[in-house]
Amino acid sequence: MKGGGLKLLAVVIGLNIFFTYIGLYFLPQSESQPPKTIKIEKGVTVDELLSLGEEISFSKGQCMVCHPMKAETGMRAPAISTIGGEMVKSAKERNMKPEAYVFEALVNPAEYVQKGFENMMPPIHKSPTSLNEGELIAVAAFLQSKGSQVTVSYPESLEALKEQIAKEAKKGGS
Amino acid sequence: MAEVSVTKGLIKGVVKLTVLLTVGFVCLFLFGKILSAPTEDGYRFFPMLGSRVWVWIIAQLHLNFAAFVLGVPIFAVSMEFLSWRRTDDRLDRIAYDFTKLFTLAYTLTAIAGTVLMVSLPLLYPKFMGHLMDILGPTWWLYIVVMYGEVLVCYYYFYSWHQMKDKKGVHVAIGVLLNFMGLTMLLITSSWVGYMTTPGGVSETGALINRWAAIKTYMWIPLSLHRLVANVVFGAGIAAAYAAYRFITSETDEDRAYYDWMGYTSAMISIGFSLILPGIGYLLGVEIYAYNEQMGIQLMGGFFAWLWVMQAILIGAILMFVNYYLWISLNKMPGGERYFKYVKFLFIIMLLGYTVWLTPHSVALSLEEARRIGAYHPILGNLGVMAAKNTAVVISYLATFLSFAIFKMSNKEPVVPWAKAGNAIRIILVLGSSVAMLGIGVYSYMVTSAVRVKVLSPIQFGIFFVTIIALFILDNMMYKNAKIIGEPRWGKMPERSQYALIGITVTFTWLMAMMGYMRSGGRQYWHVYGIMKDTSPDAYLPTHGYAAIVCSTVTVLFFLFIGLLFWSIMKLEKAQAAKGGAKA
Repeated sequence: MKGGGLKLLAVVIGLNIFFTYIGLYFLPQSESQPPKTIKIEKGVTVDELLSLGEEISFSKGQCMVCHPMKAETGMRAPAISTIGGEMVKSAKERNMKPEAYVFEALVNPAEYVQKGFENMMPPIHKSPTSLNEGELIAVAAFLQSKGSQVTVSYPESLEALKEQIAKEAKKGGS
Repeated sequence: MAEVSVTKGLIKGVVKLTVLLTVGFVCLFLFGKILSAPTEDGYRFFPMLGSRVWVWIIAQLHLNFAAFVLGVPIFAVSMEFLSWRRTDDRLDRIAYDFTKLFTLAYTLTAIAGTVLMVSLPLLYPKFMGHLMDILGPTWWLYIVVMYGEVLVCYYYFYSWHQMKDKKGVHVAIGVLLNFMGLTMLLITSSWVGYMTTPGGVSETGALINRWAAIKTYMWIPLSLHRLVANVVFGAGIAAAYAAYRFITSETDEDRAYYDWMGYTSAMISIGFSLILPGIGYLLGVEIYAYNEQMGIQLMGGFFAWLWVMQAILIGAILMFVNYYLWISLNKMPGGERYFKYVKFLFIIMLLGYTVWLTPHSVALSLEEARRIGAYHPILGNLGVMAAKNTAVVISYLATFLSFAIFKMSNKEPVVPWAKAGNAIRIILVLGSSVAMLGIGVYSYMVTSAVRVKVLSPIQFGIFFVTIIALFILDNMMYKNAKIIGEPRWGKMPERSQYALIGITVTFTWLMAMMGYMRSGGRQYWHVYGIMKDTSPDAYLPTHGYAAIVCSTVTVLFFLFIGLLFWSIMKLEKAQAAKGGAKA
């Protein structure tokens, strides 16, 4: 069969062009940039804190990787839209202040896992997520705003946050 | 080649490797002196392409060749063993042809490896310095094993004809070769495992326990996945070689042999690929166990759309395989009796393919989907794992049926229970399909933990039990069966060979993409959570950009492989001419 080798080469190149075409024109095109660190300034308002908290939850915090916005069947982690209310209930059950509870949930999540879910959340002040103190407070405020009153603020809540971080460190969590 | 003595062959192998290593170390030394000092955070920049794309292309090319030279020896020695036990010359010829292929491919593998060995420390000195601090001893072990492997490989090849009366010993040498290949695979997987799921180091990256840095979460499942994928890939390349030789053959005898070689290699490739989803699942479990976020990012985050691309690619491979098997019915006397089933299998394949490649959401990314907070009413249901797993197992079952039909198409069972056997076959196929569909539907109603940990394994379990049962049943039913006629090997239209090439090209593209995903899963980390990538390339490019790189690697690889095939043919022709002249 004359020219067989060339035909095979044409098949190889043709298939690659086809796959490249799908990659270029059928798949969505966006880049994933490394997250930027957000510096929270003293005197930030509640509205600003909530807006920053939402931004961090969707980007550097990677919260939305596991948490859906609205409840859905088979979800891996509690839905964000009602999480503030759920946290207040759990805090009451455990005789904790809402502020302490929300920080515990972020930096020492293994301490208490909501019923129906598995212990899979990493402490997000540690690598690879590595949120700084200001970012943690912003996320906590954003979560509280979903169904409950926002009780955290910056820098007033720093002490309560540090207490939970110290508890997690004492536990020897990695 | 075959006329070179064993000693000369061994010397050739060692000299080649030593020259390449020397060139590598000399280049490292010279370039280290000539090039400007790295940036403060430890980077040099490759001109035009950029460091990332350069290393990406070279690493993937090296990996492709390495997969080939590690995968093919497994079934070369298996074929040699079978030829020895059954005294079948055709099996010995195919084993020898495979060995010829991977022995020659070693040189290309080593060249790509040398370029990578020079590129990485020059372009990423800080990162490579860290890797050497943590896993340095494994690199030196790698070089020792590499010498051992080259020696055993060249001995295995060059002693083939000399040891034709000592087949047992020769097979044992082949087994040793595979053992060395496995050792190399374990060493290299430990490097990738450390980068992705690091262990044995402090939060700042200081070494605490070297063995823990080797024995990471990913190490064994990644090694297993690579081992099986190497066999699939190696067999695919052998099928491509057979297709090339079939198309360029000048005699009916050669066409018959290469048709048979292409069929055997393709079936080995597809047969082993059945295990891959299971081992891939195990790899996924380990990644999730190490870090849930990384697992979800890989499965449903930025890479979610690449799983749709994966479905397109695997679906295309299955379509090529089925098409090849359906055409193959023409060469089987009695095969025409089964033509009527082909259209049903085609419809099943098409339906499965459609569900498999349906995206969960038309949103750009998981983040966007989360912001929208709702999914498409149809895509949202078909795009989830419950539907996809079901489509995958049903498509694979249809492919297995195409294979079974081909195998039995020139036979008629003579066992008295043949009718009952057929009924059992129908019950098995329909029963398992209903069960797998039922589990698929039920998967929508349970939590993700139950779906992933319980229902998916059961679904795959039913699939495997079914094909094993069908295999055993067919073997029993068709034992001493009446043969309507022998397969007319070589009587295949040319287009069937393009299907074989299609399988291999698609699989190579898939390997490039999955390699990118595995590496991209670390996001902006060189070593996940330990060492950040602070270079200008510390971002994930668009899927289109990644597709261009995957295609570039695949085309380059096939150009090199084509060159290899062509040089083997030239050598054979030269030897034949020499033999003719002597006679």
